[in-house]
Amino acid sequence: MIRFDQVSKRYEGGHEALSQLTFEVAKGEMAFVTGHSGAGKSTLLKLLALIERPSHGHVTLDGQNLAKIGRSGIPKLRRSLGMVFQDHRLLMDRTVFANVELPLVIGGIAPLERGRRVRAALEKVGLLDYERQLPASLSTGEQQRVGIARAIVAKPSVLIADEPTGNLDPQLAFEIMSLFAEFQQVGTTVLVASHDLPLIKRVKKRVVVLDHGRLVADVAAEEVL
Amino acid sequence: MSASTETQAPAPARSERSHRHPFTSWREHHGWSAGTSLRRLASKPVGSLLTVAVMGLALALPLAFYLLLSNMQSLGSALGRNQVINVFLKTDQVAGNAQLLAKQIGQHDGVANVSVKSPQQGLDELSKMQGFSDALHALDDNPLPFVLEVQPQDGISADTANRLVEDLRGMQGVDMVQDSGTWRQRLDALLGVGNRVVLILAGLFALAVLLVVGNTVRVDITSRAEEISVLKLIGASRAFVRRPYLYAGIWYGLFSGVLAVALALAIEFALVEPVAKLSQVYEGKLRVAGLPPWLLVAVPVAAAFLGWLGARLVSAWQLRKAA
Repeated sequence: MIRFDQVSKRYEGGHEALSQLTFEVAKGEMAFVTGHSGAGKSTLLKLLALIERPSHGHVTLDGQNLAKIGRSGIPKLRRSLGMVFQDHRLLMDRTVFANVELPLVIGGIAPLERGRRVRAALEKVGLLDYERQLPASLSTGEQQRVGIARAIVAKPSVLIADEPTGNLDPQLAFEIMSLFAEFQQVGTTVLVASHDLPLIKRVKKRVVVLDHGRLVADVAAEEVL
Repeated sequence: MSASTETQAPAPARSERSHRHPFTSWREHHGWSAGTSLRRLASKPVGSLLTVAVMGLALALPLAFYLLLSNMQSLGSALGRNQVINVFLKTDQVAGNAQLLAKQIGQHDGVANVSVKSPQQGLDELSKMQGFSDALHALDDNPLPFVLEVQPQDGISADTANRLVEDLRGMQGVDMVQDSGTWRQRLDALLGVGNRVVLILAGLFALAVLLVVGNTVRVDITSRAEEISVLKLIGASRAFVRRPYLYAGIWYGLFSGVLAVALALAIEFALVEPVAKLSQVYEGKLRVAGLPPWLLVAVPVAAAFLGWLGARLVSAWQLRKAA
């Protein structure tokens, strides 16, 4: 479970990205965080991955207060998360296989098991035949799917995605979101930051709306029109 | 794209890792880092070869000086074998005294052989020299004394040689001692300076190796800032991120050490022929002083350590900056 409790984040220079934010996402739930540019969506995800620390309040992940995790504990926390980025953040000089394999190498998984799981993850995102290719030879949508395969390959309990469909056409964006929904259905908690309202409405999952860092609406999946 | 049984039971990777022996994971991490860093070096062959060449040459220079000094020492020893101390006895000394003195001197430390040259033998040698013959005929009698030719032992130290000369000068019946070995003392002194120069050069070039590796790793880390950022985001520890750079330092050092040894062996090989010619002059006593076997192993190992150290110092600072 993810819980934000009275969380505020003020950056150096005074800009307040989040203000008194309180909400929670249940284990195995999928939720969208939306809002206009600068609403605080990315900051919220950064707090979850300990890229940033809150100025006030507490962020809790599976009962663990993230404020109590020291610098040396950050890698371990991040290994329990799967992260998908708008710009994919792939290593362009390594093959698709090597990119997807990275979290498993870091996690100390045995080579044979790595190979099996990388292929399973690539199969899931429909890129099994591309494992020997370099990311640069793939389309933007395919690169994003490689990023998703990398995020899920270590079987994280929580998957977070920051504008994962920002560069994709509507149909491909919907396919990516459907894939996230499938992960949620098998027990993964999924939190997606997106400003693509038509897509959010199409997927029909819970929506948390932010405006200038404040929670202005929390719409349940069944209430999404 | 479809969900399969693979996603049925998501669980943190950490829990699966704990089933394995920590040493196995540690070993695999190192193997992965070593392989990754080697592939990176191979992916930019020109740059890597140039770096290795610069470092190899820097390490080869002290080795070349070491070879030069060793051969000068070898030459000095060979020349030392021909060094004779001439002991001129007083003119009143007769053959019996000369033989007695020769026997005493022969028992002295550091003496290999003593031969007695009579006044007549001296006169015969002089008469064979151009320009002396007429002058010697003008003499009524032979003015030359008995001369003892003292041959010091091979490899005798300068101190022992000096002590021997002083003792000879103090002997009864000795008029004069002619020691042709001062040049050897000068050579020893010069070799001492040379040895110190080699040590200083080795230190300076080791520092150069450290700096070259450090700068190469710094540039590498700067150019891979994006990759480092991604690795950290997906849960890589600082040690994991740093390890390939440490291995890069080790590879640079190791390869440059091997190159330095190869260059030094090439120099040694190039010296064989001229030294063989020189050796003929000294009755085959002169040999090329090559690099000792332990040095052939020690140089690459020490260079690999220097590479690791340079990479470690710079990566610690550079990765902290990139964090």
